Amino acid sequence: MNWRLRVVHTTGYRYATAVTQSYNEARLTPRSDDRQNLMVSRLETVPAARGYRYTDYWGTEVNAFDLHTPHTELKVVAASVVETAEQPLPAVDATWSDVRAPESVDKYAEYLEWTTYVPKHRELGAVARSLRKGRTPQETVLVVSKWVHDTLKYQRGTTGVHSSAVDAWQAGEGVCQDYAHLTLAMLRAVGIPARYVSGYLHTKPDAAVGETVVGESHAWVEAWTGDWWGFDPTNDIPIAHRHVWVATGRDYGDVSPLKGIYSGGAATAIEVTVDMTRLA
Amino acid sequence: MSPASSRLAGPQLFAGYLDPRRPHAGAYDEMFDPVDGVRTAYKRLHDSLEPLQPADLTTRAEALDRALVDQGITFSLSGQERPFPLDLVPRVITASEWSRLERGIVQRVRALEAFLADIYGEQQIVADGVLPRRLITSCEHFHRQAAGIAPPNGVRIHVAGIDVVRDEQGDFRVLEDNLRSPSGVSYVMENRRTMARVFPDLFAKHRVRAVGDYAVHLLRALRAAAPPGATDPNVVVLTPGVYNSAYFEHSLLARQMGVELVEGRDLFARNNVIYLRTTEGEQRVDVIYRRIDDEFLDPVQFEPDSVLGVAGLVNAARAGNVVIANAIGNGVGDDKLVYTYLPEILKYYLGETPLLPNVDTFRCWLPAEQAEVLDRLDELVTKPVEGSGGYGIVFGPDASPKELAAQRRRIRANPRGWIAQPVVQLSTVPTKVGERLQPRHVDLRPFAVNDGDSVFVLPGGLTRVAIPEGSLIVNSSQGGGSKDTWVLAQRASGEDAELRGRGLGAVKSDEASTPEQGPELNLAQQQQQQ
Repeated sequence: MNWRLRVVHTTGYRYATAVTQSYNEARLTPRSDDRQNLMVSRLETVPAARGYRYTDYWGTEVNAFDLHTPHTELKVVAASVVETAEQPLPAVDATWSDVRAPESVDKYAEYLEWTTYVPKHRELGAVARSLRKGRTPQETVLVVSKWVHDTLKYQRGTTGVHSSAVDAWQAGEGVCQDYAHLTLAMLRAVGIPARYVSGYLHTKPDAAVGETVVGESHAWVEAWTGDWWGFDPTNDIPIAHRHVWVATGRDYGDVSPLKGIYSGGAATAIEVTVDMTRLA
Repeated sequence: MSPASSRLAGPQLFAGYLDPRRPHAGAYDEMFDPVDGVRTAYKRLHDSLEPLQPADLTTRAEALDRALVDQGITFSLSGQERPFPLDLVPRVITASEWSRLERGIVQRVRALEAFLADIYGEQQIVADGVLPRRLITSCEHFHRQAAGIAPPNGVRIHVAGIDVVRDEQGDFRVLEDNLRSPSGVSYVMENRRTMARVFPDLFAKHRVRAVGDYAVHLLRALRAAAPPGATDPNVVVLTPGVYNSAYFEHSLLARQMGVELVEGRDLFARNNVIYLRTTEGEQRVDVIYRRIDDEFLDPVQFEPDSVLGVAGLVNAARAGNVVIANAIGNGVGDDKLVYTYLPEILKYYLGETPLLPNVDTFRCWLPAEQAEVLDRLDELVTKPVEGSGGYGIVFGPDASPKELAAQRRRIRANPRGWIAQPVVQLSTVPTKVGERLQPRHVDLRPFAVNDGDSVFVLPGGLTRVAIPEGSLIVNSSQGGGSKDTWVLAQRASGEDAELRGRGLGAVKSDEASTPEQGPELNLAQQQQQQ
């Protein structure tokens, strides 16, 4: 049975001195696919701005807006209602030679690339190769995710928005962004195309209809093993009703939920809240 | 000295010109045919030069230097540093040679326009399996930020600089395409102005097609590119500033077009519209001819620290409120690995075969070709796929074993980053060396301007010349110079039928009404254009 979820995400910045100009892009709108259906979405800013909406190279809906009146706080509220379903393991389980076929390598080249967030690392590659032994690509995705889940300790504050997979691995702790990047680094090391997913997680599996819970801005991965499918290494769980996806890309840099530039005093993030209500 | 050259060359100026022992003796000399003597194109020029004594040559060279110094004062006021000396012997291209070259360049620009439109749109050429997807996604200048931006009149390559060379048979071949911010057109115009001042007599004997109206064509193309709503489009030239090596060119083009020369801080975006700050308030901008690299154009989309560009510019272009010329991401079309697929690209979009062939090129990213490159590294020229100005090029025959070993490692580490070409013995043109004229190797960068309806190729271009004897490297950083490049107008009207487009052969007495076709005759006319 599907869930219907309302997501209200509030984020933004507070500035030390008044900002007179800022240019921003928000990537906060959930998308639709065979396990998720976006019913309605809205984005508002304080101060109010005339938004400009476009779809970027990765297929993500972007809301761009600029502000020209002095302000000391920018608040962005993204609200949406989505229907979500479980995502069963894909029926197709490609072989290693399917995954490594020249056509697959060419088609998914971008998801095999090393990036600043997902760098090549000899030791991580060796671990990934040892985990792969005797397993299909699909099984490898699961075992790598489990390894990342067991290796990192969930801890805020150790890593930052610019930390790479290797930074988190060496620190031994991190947040969902780090779990995702580390999983990507290992999957790409064994030649499995893998991408970063930005979205939301509803935190209460047995939530009642009408109950509002504190959700999270979340990240997980998708891998291609004959078909794209997702897995959540932070929680070591499959993607299901509680996951709402917004964007996919090579790494965080392609899907950054709110980014921009401004002139003015130092910025601090305001408290981010994600309220998620099960409507059905 | 061979009998032929002693017959052809004057006793002094051309003494020893065609010495068979000279380096790269197999190169095509543009003035002398080894059998038939002076080629037709150069007949009159040769006749004018031949009677000269070495002392005359020196006098003329000094006059040229003085003229350059005169202009140099203006240049230094504008912060200009002239990188190449101007040689006193012009390079001559006949009307029929030019006509072929022009057609080839136009064809190339059309195909590359279609390619860029596709790459930043549906990528049909990839979906159809004609090009590997990886070829595109691995391009350093494939800018995903530009995906989905559709320029109103479809033009992305407002200005192209297609570098060509003449091979040992005298055939023009394309060495590389420059689709981002090709520079050098100011030298074309300034060289001509200087030559016309110093050698009015030479111009009187030739029908040389004018290059001084380049800015008219550029402005026409930029205005034609404007968003549909703009009835009297406001065009600006965006420069990184006075410290940029091409600042002189930026200011010259702005002045000649009669438009504002601006820096990033003079512009700002509001609600996806670009405005110019002026003393009379904000002025809406419709077209930006920018001479700033993509990566510095908009800190929201690219380098967040850059202060050269304009925040919000990319989305203003996406919204269709401003046009950026040349378009963002054109570098995917002038990547030197993509260049090797030009025949496929031409066939796919135009159904044509190349009128101008490429130089034979090995692709290091294909294992078989890489093996051959590594095997023959000492006889090939290896070049980075990205970048220009001759940086990173390794000239096999001149490289030490140590340099070759280092290059081998670089290619193995990054096969996508390198291509290799056999040494092309670039054609030679007589060039003043000491008190004589000696063959020196040249290349050519013609400039093409696309206004959406037609592609105009400026009749001429920047000829760069390698000054050291035997050198095949024409880059200014390697001590290169330049030559005025003369494209001759067609003489016999009967040949007009062969020519395409703008009536190249129409030699009209009323030259004022068709300035691009008229012969350049005298100093006064040149100065009128200032």
